[in-house]
Amino acid sequence: MILTTKKQGGRNRIDAFDIVGCVVLILFALIIFYPFYNAVLTSIVTSKQYILNPAMLYPRDVTLDNYRLIFENPLIWSGYKNTLIVVACGVVYGMGMTVCMAYAFSRKSFPGKRPLFLLVLFTMFFGGGLIPLYLLIKNMGLINELGALILINGVVPYYMIILKSGFEQIPESLEEAARIEGANDIVIFARVMLPLQMAMLATFTLFIAVDRWNDWFLPMLFIKEGRKFTLQVVLRSIIYEATSDVDAASSAYYENIFSDGIKIAAVVVTMLPIMCFYPFLQKHFVKGVLVGAVKM
Amino acid sequence: MNMTAGAVLPGSRRRFMRAVWDSRYIYLLLLPGIVSILIFSYGPMYGLLLAFKKFNAGLGILSSPWIGMAHFRRLLGTPDFASALRNTLIISFSRLIIEFPIPIVLGVLLGEMKFQKTKRVLQTVFTFPHFLSWIIVSGILISFLDSNGPVNAILAALGRDKINILANTKTFRGLLYATSIWKGAGWSSIIYMTAIAGIDPQLYEAAVIDGAGRLRRIWHITLPGIKPTIVVLFVLSAGRIMNAGFDQVFNLQNAVVRPVSEIIDTYVYRITFEAVPDFGFSTAVGLFKSVINFALLLVTNRLVKAVNGSGLFV
Repeated sequence: MILTTKKQGGRNRIDAFDIVGCVVLILFALIIFYPFYNAVLTSIVTSKQYILNPAMLYPRDVTLDNYRLIFENPLIWSGYKNTLIVVACGVVYGMGMTVCMAYAFSRKSFPGKRPLFLLVLFTMFFGGGLIPLYLLIKNMGLINELGALILINGVVPYYMIILKSGFEQIPESLEEAARIEGANDIVIFARVMLPLQMAMLATFTLFIAVDRWNDWFLPMLFIKEGRKFTLQVVLRSIIYEATSDVDAASSAYYENIFSDGIKIAAVVVTMLPIMCFYPFLQKHFVKGVLVGAVKM
Repeated sequence: MNMTAGAVLPGSRRRFMRAVWDSRYIYLLLLPGIVSILIFSYGPMYGLLLAFKKFNAGLGILSSPWIGMAHFRRLLGTPDFASALRNTLIISFSRLIIEFPIPIVLGVLLGEMKFQKTKRVLQTVFTFPHFLSWIIVSGILISFLDSNGPVNAILAALGRDKINILANTKTFRGLLYATSIWKGAGWSSIIYMTAIAGIDPQLYEAAVIDGAGRLRRIWHITLPGIKPTIVVLFVLSAGRIMNAGFDQVFNLQNAVVRPVSEIIDTYVYRITFEAVPDFGFSTAVGLFKSVINFALLLVTNRLVKAVNGSGLFV
């Protein structure tokens, strides 16, 4: 029976559609892949070789000069350090606030739940905009402080709502059992609920970590001093060569020796962690969309 | 709920306070998040007063003199703003038409894919660029499309003339759509794949028995099955029409293509941080955009409610 369905043009036979679909998808994948591959190659060949043949398929004249020059730049090192600080603190701070709030809002009802929830929801759709935020940070004395980049990113309402629906799916009986044993809300949250949501927590920790790693606009706005630049800002100053936001010293340093190879090496250095970890963590990221989609 | 009941019933004040006290740990969990939201989200909203004032740094936001709607009147008479508004609308609408369908196609194709291992590899490649900042992506694209870069080398090898893709007012908007698809379509397709995975397999079995081919099954089962998802996502994107993609435009833009690509967000940045700033005016431009966005959101939420039965948010 099953065999016959298969034979009659069932869903498992390979037909022309599969071939065409497959070719289209593989072509699209190559179009996405090649610029990255080309970037890595560009960063490891001599500039002479690159000028000769930029559209390479394999490296010739391999050299690590570009990387040597990039790592001689103290801004890359301090940039890495600053970014790691912002990512580490940002994850603890942002995740902590988001999870605590998600759990609180997942509880049945308490006085003020709806107005408080609307207060949070509203910020997803309306904001003060760029200039008022800039003035606020300035008035708080946080210009040029890495702390600003961490503090601004507290609760992420979108992640909070998804986590909240995760907590809501935990059977009530668990909470009641714990309450009978005399546990209060915080104990229940920490000992009973959090351990049940580890997969979701891992997913959103990754999202927040990537968000902080990729932040560039606020760092560019708030950090003026070269040695406090995060990696993305350093990269921006290298790509767009010696703009006003680079220290005079470092721009003079680069003025003469900048080549495509060095710029691309800087790009590779900045995306390296994501490039290395992404293939292994992909399924966690995808999970974030899945729970989000169910919510929708 | 408790609260409204508490306000009416006699003697219920006690019960209300009791409920508050019982939830004290819940409030404790909420406290840090609420405080940070009040400071960093609502704090700047107070700064919106600036849109109606003549900002004087010495006096601060509160004491600066009121000037009513003067900024807004000036705004409507500023040619640069009119051009930014026009570019924003053109780019956003084109994105809806050109970019929006691509993830659906990808999702359907991936959903139909039979080679599971290839599918997994493809998905990893497709979704990867989403996790890179536009600075990184622009860095790669700028050298890739440069007149000395690989694309022009290939054109030259084919005997074509070199083209300066990045500094060409005719092609720049197209470049925005293409690179945005390149970076984000794969990630957006996941949501459609999820929706497709949720379609009852029996529908397909029945269609096979009825003799429906691949394309007909996609047309009559897959697409109707993901229609609610398509509607929601379309309406959501339509509600963001005033955001034409700051990160991308800002990082790919250059002086030559500015006339066709200056959008409201880049315009606000430019007049505030690359010129002698008028904070009041800049704030007014930002507020103008936020209000339209918010109104659009309310409209789109209504639309989704009408189509799908329940609204997106409240």
